[in-house]
Amino acid sequence: MTTQAASPPRLFSTLRSLRLQSSRRYLIRLSSWIGMIALTFLLVLAIFPNLIAPYNSTERVALPLQKPSRENVLGTNDLGQDLCSELIAGTRASLFTGLIVSFLSVLFGTLVGLISGYLGGWADSFLMRFTDLILVLPFLPLVILLSVYLGPSQRNVIIVLSLFFWAGPARLIRAQVLHLREDTYIEAARALGANSLQIMTDHLWSGVRPLVLAQIVLVASASILAESSLSFLGLGDPSGKSWGTMLYFARASGAFLSDAWKWWVLPTGLMITLTVLSLGLIGYSLEQRISNSVS
Amino acid sequence: MKNFYRRMLEFGLTFFLAISINFFLPRLMPGDPLKLIAGSAAPQLGKERVDALRAQYGLDKPLPEQYLIYLKQLARGDLGMSFRYSGGRTVVEVLSENFRWTLLIVSISLILALFIGSALGIWSAGRRGDSLDLGMLSSIYVLRSIPPFWIAMLLIPILAIQLHIFPVGDSYSIPRLEGWENVKDITRHAIMPVIVLTLAYIPTAFSIMRAAMFGIMESDYIRTARAKGVKNIWVVLRHGLRNALLPVLTSFMVDLGQMLGGVTVIEAVFNYRGIGNMMFEAVKSRDYPLLQGGFLLFTITILVLNILTELIYPYLDPRLRRSAI
Repeated sequence: MTTQAASPPRLFSTLRSLRLQSSRRYLIRLSSWIGMIALTFLLVLAIFPNLIAPYNSTERVALPLQKPSRENVLGTNDLGQDLCSELIAGTRASLFTGLIVSFLSVLFGTLVGLISGYLGGWADSFLMRFTDLILVLPFLPLVILLSVYLGPSQRNVIIVLSLFFWAGPARLIRAQVLHLREDTYIEAARALGANSLQIMTDHLWSGVRPLVLAQIVLVASASILAESSLSFLGLGDPSGKSWGTMLYFARASGAFLSDAWKWWVLPTGLMITLTVLSLGLIGYSLEQRISNSVS
Repeated sequence: MKNFYRRMLEFGLTFFLAISINFFLPRLMPGDPLKLIAGSAAPQLGKERVDALRAQYGLDKPLPEQYLIYLKQLARGDLGMSFRYSGGRTVVEVLSENFRWTLLIVSISLILALFIGSALGIWSAGRRGDSLDLGMLSSIYVLRSIPPFWIAMLLIPILAIQLHIFPVGDSYSIPRLEGWENVKDITRHAIMPVIVLTLAYIPTAFSIMRAAMFGIMESDYIRTARAKGVKNIWVVLRHGLRNALLPVLTSFMVDLGQMLGGVTVIEAVFNYRGIGNMMFEAVKSRDYPLLQGGFLLFTITILVLNILTELIYPYLDPRLRRSAI
């Protein structure tokens, strides 16, 4: 303590920032580990549901609306299906929807971002105005409107969510491209005679790749949350086993008016939270690593 | 000022996009648009009646002409008839009846979340990187990952059914109470939705404020203020927060579209009488005009809030004031 107090202020602030940096690095590492472990667990559930789940989630195995028992750990739903098996089956539906939406929208967002950022000019202003329009519109009401016209199905949920989730990534990737295109290696490539397409697909792409990866994970996390809201409103596939659909049926059969919320509503929401959180943590740590390497 | 007009033009375009979505969606979908516009009862009607309906909605005319008719109706404030009410009620009537309740809970929650989230964000930014800041950051991250409608589904059995603290369903008791009792009754009905919405909005307010304060607290004028011997709290509030307000407000407005729409699910869980719950009911009965009306109303609300913010900017930033004159 005494040496610190005696040292010149510059050293003092350097020490402080070093300490802050190390605690931040620790948090980033910790969150990526927690995220990875949780995601691995969820992936195992999603890939091998039949090995882990005690029953087939689409079969009636007991009387409807049973309390948890030795046979049905989390009780049964309004059709007499095992809730625990349904919960495990839901992992696949929710993760699958989230990842597909995220791939589609980040793919489109990257295209828009690359073209807009690199070409600039009227193409840029046109694309960005359009992106802003998408961002201003009230997300959920418009998504509800679209889903009602298209009809309830998992495929339509994917289409509708992808129509809106590209806008955020497009903005971020454009910002990164604006940064990169002034770089000397892009200038060098141009001087060597590379055309716009080559620069975008080879050089700029390698520059934005880490950001794209982080975005895929973060958008997947956001779309799982959005999918659960839509399915909860009854706009998902009614026969599909997503967590949002489970909560929809829990509400429809009045689960939270009785004790059933403890084994029907509570675990389902926890699974959604765990999935969204694990993807969010991985995305956060990827994002932080990029900003560390940039600065 | 030039910037102001450009923004207004953008808002105008957004509005135009929203009403065009409403026009083109039912007409571009596969199948007979009459079914989407006039309801599922259409096929049971006789051929004459169907033709009459087709003419009434102008569906026998070419698309551009239909569009013009649609715009004219809209300018008169005519959003069509809702399907659900057999007595025949206009969409505008139903909307105006429900809107006040949504406005009530959303505005209270937004203000609460702005205050709580910003306060936490400022506090967190002031102790950047220490264990309390990182703890706060992690809690906000967890909160952001929880589906708000699930919090609502847990509050109902605990607070309403078991503990009987709050009433469940609707936004007031029926029959309605008189005077002061009515105010108390409305408050009691609004508390649970407000709690959930506030929790849903806090992460956004927190993150925006924390990020904005980071950048500002590192700048030279903050160091100068500290060197002058200004008390820490005044450095944060008068020098830091004053300059953070503008970027915070701008970022907040960008997220508004995402945030306002979320009320739909929350109202549906609580069965709270508002635009969101109205849309949920309209989904069940495939009441397309009502759904379109709800979407349009949300868009208009967001645009009005954005325009108000544009008008507030000069008061927050003296530089804008000078250029306006």
